[in-house]
Amino acid sequence: MKRIAISPPVAAVLLAIVLFVLSGLLPNGFGSDLAIARAQATNILRLAVFLGVVAAGQTLVIISGSEGIDLSAGAVVTLSAILTYSIVNGSNANVLPALLAALLAGGLIGLINGLGITFLAISPLVMTLGMAGVVSGLILIITQGNVGGAIAPIMTQVIARPVAGVPGAIPIWIAFGALMWLLLQRTSFGKHLFAIGTNRITARLSGVNVTAMATGTYAVAGMLAGLGGFMVVGNTGVVHIRIGDPFLFPSIAAVAVGGTLLTGGKGSYFGTMAGALVLTLLTSLLTTMQMPESVRRMVLGATLLIMISIYGRERRFRQ
Amino acid sequence: MRQIRFPFVLWLFIVATLVNLFLQPDFLQPVTINSNLRVLLPLILVAVGQAIVILAGGIDISAGAIVSIVNAFLATRIGLNGDPGTATLMITLSLLAGMAVGAINGFFVASLRLQPIIMTYATSFLFGGLALLILPNPGGGMPSSFTKFYHDTMPLGVPLAFYVIALVMLAWYGLRQARYGRYLFAVGGKADAAFQTGVPVSLIQFSTYVISGLMAAFGGIALTLLTGSGNAQIGDSLTLSAITAVVIGGTALSGGTGGIGGAIIGAIVLGLFRNIVSFANIATWWQTFVNAAIIVLALAMPGLIRLLRRGNT
Amino acid sequence: MAIALSARNIVKRYGATVALADASLDIHTGEVLALIGANGSGKSTLSKIMNGVVVRDGGQLRLDDHVVQFASPYAAKRMGISTVFQELSLVPQMTVAENIWLTHEPLKRGGLIDKQTLRRKTEELLALFAGTFSTKLEPDTPVGPLPPDEKQIIEILKAISVEPRVLILDEATASLDNRQVQRLFELVTQWKLQGQAIVFVSHRMDEIFQIGDRYSVLRNGTSVGEGVLSDRTRNDLVALMVQGATAANVVARTRPTAAELAAQNVQVDVMDLQAAGVHGVTFQLHAGELLGLGGLRGQGQHQLLLAMFGALPYTGRITIDRAPGHFTHPRQAMQRRLALVPGERASEGLLLRRSILENFLIPSWRDFGFPLRMGKARAVASNMARSLSLKMGGIDDPVSSLSGGNAQKVVIGKWLLRDPHVLMLDDPTKGIDVGAKAEFYKLLARLCDEGKSVLLYSSDDEELIGLCDRVLVMHDGKIRVELAGAALTKSHLVAASLGATQEELV
Repeated sequence: MKRIAISPPVAAVLLAIVLFVLSGLLPNGFGSDLAIARAQATNILRLAVFLGVVAAGQTLVIISGSEGIDLSAGAVVTLSAILTYSIVNGSNANVLPALLAALLAGGLIGLINGLGITFLAISPLVMTLGMAGVVSGLILIITQGNVGGAIAPIMTQVIARPVAGVPGAIPIWIAFGALMWLLLQRTSFGKHLFAIGTNRITARLSGVNVTAMATGTYAVAGMLAGLGGFMVVGNTGVVHIRIGDPFLFPSIAAVAVGGTLLTGGKGSYFGTMAGALVLTLLTSLLTTMQMPESVRRMVLGATLLIMISIYGRERRFRQ
Repeated sequence: MRQIRFPFVLWLFIVATLVNLFLQPDFLQPVTINSNLRVLLPLILVAVGQAIVILAGGIDISAGAIVSIVNAFLATRIGLNGDPGTATLMITLSLLAGMAVGAINGFFVASLRLQPIIMTYATSFLFGGLALLILPNPGGGMPSSFTKFYHDTMPLGVPLAFYVIALVMLAWYGLRQARYGRYLFAVGGKADAAFQTGVPVSLIQFSTYVISGLMAAFGGIALTLLTGSGNAQIGDSLTLSAITAVVIGGTALSGGTGGIGGAIIGAIVLGLFRNIVSFANIATWWQTFVNAAIIVLALAMPGLIRLLRRGNT
Repeated sequence: MAIALSARNIVKRYGATVALADASLDIHTGEVLALIGANGSGKSTLSKIMNGVVVRDGGQLRLDDHVVQFASPYAAKRMGISTVFQELSLVPQMTVAENIWLTHEPLKRGGLIDKQTLRRKTEELLALFAGTFSTKLEPDTPVGPLPPDEKQIIEILKAISVEPRVLILDEATASLDNRQVQRLFELVTQWKLQGQAIVFVSHRMDEIFQIGDRYSVLRNGTSVGEGVLSDRTRNDLVALMVQGATAANVVARTRPTAAELAAQNVQVDVMDLQAAGVHGVTFQLHAGELLGLGGLRGQGQHQLLLAMFGALPYTGRITIDRAPGHFTHPRQAMQRRLALVPGERASEGLLLRRSILENFLIPSWRDFGFPLRMGKARAVASNMARSLSLKMGGIDDPVSSLSGGNAQKVVIGKWLLRDPHVLMLDDPTKGIDVGAKAEFYKLLARLCDEGKSVLLYSSDDEELIGLCDRVLVMHDGKIRVELAGAALTKSHLVAASLGATQEELV
């Protein structure tokens, strides 16, 4: 009794392709010009990379279950972008220390999230929301409204400038995706993550240290958001104190569109990558169509609603 | 649990009031209370609706967007020169609109059984978009006579907001004494057991979103009366503040315990924190941080106390 | 006598598994119908179809000779069908009175709840069981922290508070002690005289014969016989229930004598263990021994096993293989070669959504290196599945696709992969069919022969008698009686369960 079922990540990729073709058919789309189509595809992929990296941490936290979510991701992206910008200060030699600082800052904030959630039993939603406020406050204190610094040439070269027609960000993302797959599917960390996301009691009674796993997951998620901030600033080359905000909610939506169960225990980073593509495409499609902000929001909301209606249903009370 | 957490928010309330009193000697003057409460009233109303949804085991991320819809609607339909007749009609309509929009949430949660958090997050985009459709750029508003009424009315020397809060509490008291109140707690406490007992679980879940929509509409009306102007994104920030207020007030996000009293005091406590930060001579750049840190500490406190107690025994 | 409720040819499927194939039942007013069957035979499903919780896939329900459709449990309740649910339908955060009267609270004019009447009527109901519970039960007591027997009593009071015409008691005596059961039976006799029809679902034979008038037997979802209880013996019914497999509880194994056991190493030595619900337990478990834990449900057996496995804080001394061990996390117990098969298979033993492969390997992933050697992992899991003769589609299918017995094999298999020295099992055959049970007993016997120690708690007395070398009977968090050899009999076990002491018995 095998049913032909399309897995959510595949569905999201198909949706992305349909959206892309659709954008080509628009009056001002690429039409039949393949060179422009290629350029546009590259551009969209490049834009999706940053959302994709920020959403990686979100994916881990959501898979870990127990209402897991990270609302501090946006603020962490901003913080690490600002740290990177000011530490690098135009010098290639400072890039590595800046990356370390970004990861460390993100990891530390994630760790505080994790400790609050596990040891103090604060709900993830409120805990990470509170930390988002704290981090935004920190950013204001550090910057006092103006950020000095610059990114280094090497960052632009690696992240933004095309090599053989492909900006470096894209191969980096693919490698990153492979690493995430390795983490989720080929390490005991990944296996234990799915275990605690599915059933924390079973996991504990099978010898998994649930508290350490959950705390660690938030710390890793913070580090990944920190990495996201590092890459974002490498791409834009400038920084402002709200640079991370636009990534927060799409990062959750990308995870949901990619078919990761919001109750935890089931999902994949490939799904999130596809979800990031869908959301980026949708946004760019709506921009190309010169849709007002109102319509853009409604289309995003409707898409998310349809995707979760397809695979997000819960069990009935009456069987 | 209930015995420990409810007094905790009262304790926060007392401390915050004392600190405020120290920083601002005229803090307890009716005029000051009035000016503080009229600013807080929208948050209080949204938090009450949120508390009811959370009590029954759900959550409403779209409440802020509903506030925005109502604000955009009133600002465009009444306008700066609107007459009282139109205003009354439009205010009534906005309440109906809030309930209708809440019913959409309720439908998705109760009938399609979607997870409330992501579902209402999705509808928050729908509703936010709708608000922007009504009012693409900030503008419009209400006649100044209306805002003046909201700002300065103090029947019998008591701020208007007191009467509103009292009415809400009275309605809640009534609900709690009726079967509906029991059903809320039963559905939030253990939905399976409630269903087996014969509680109309889906209907109750549905109704909480309608109530949340209605309370968000009331919040939107209060907010429009406060600002006197229209801005289709004005309500967005209220959602998460309201959830924080509910949690500080002692209602667990897992449902089944708590009440709206805690949510109201929680919202007031958040306002008092904000007051402290702005009156305490804290450097401007530090204010956001201090405010957020106080909130996180307030959230952490019950857990810290529990950890310390366990360490002692 | 008139037929109150009649179920005809009921069918219910869950996906590919058939819970009820052809179940029929007639309940007359003024009688107690005992609905009996082995675990997993469909008793609870049939009850839940009669009270509107579960939708049937086929067949007919007739109430007073009219065909009825229950759109919801509420509809069934309105028509006078009330249920004591096996898993209880109480909301822990609510009080005794709130729970009992949920959905039919007495109202004042204006629709407000009449608290005085509510309180008075609750006290009247509580008075029915007065003197049989230990703590002071008030209408305003929250239900959550109450002991299992008191919760059970509240569930019963809740069911009768609607003054039902048909009352379904699904394992209503499971957590009650003898005194409480007798009180319930007195009440049932009264209700019978008042014309109520009562369905008594139970697997306790003594109780069935004590209170039942007629019986109806379910086997694998099919009704296989009904009649008057006084015409039947216990063995007749058992034969109907299990179809010739009456000896399923016994497994042929040479039981070591007390002297032989004493000569073996002491594998686990527990001294004065105290934990929530466990009030000082001391015993020794030898290598190769199959030690039973008995007693009524909820006497601390569950907590004892959890504490020994490091999942529950405890004080006292545990020595394993002559080296002390104090565990604050199951992982530490696991490293000392302990294993626990927990009591709730679905919620404590399995990751339902995940694959069979992953369920086998949760405790063992760390042994497969980085990156995980999946080929080896699959081979190891497949071998284990084969050696347990697991009936499955494929190793990557979700574990939720397995039947109860096969799912339990996965829980055991995940520990066998770690080659434990001590295997602790918490009522492992609950809800497992007869065939799987027999296999399971052979497996336990084999493990003991290999020199491993097994500590088995079972709510099934026959199982303990048929299987164990010694049985420790727990009562109120303590080991009251140790039964072995000729003293290990059903009557001793039952008497000890109800609180008899060693001196009274031997």
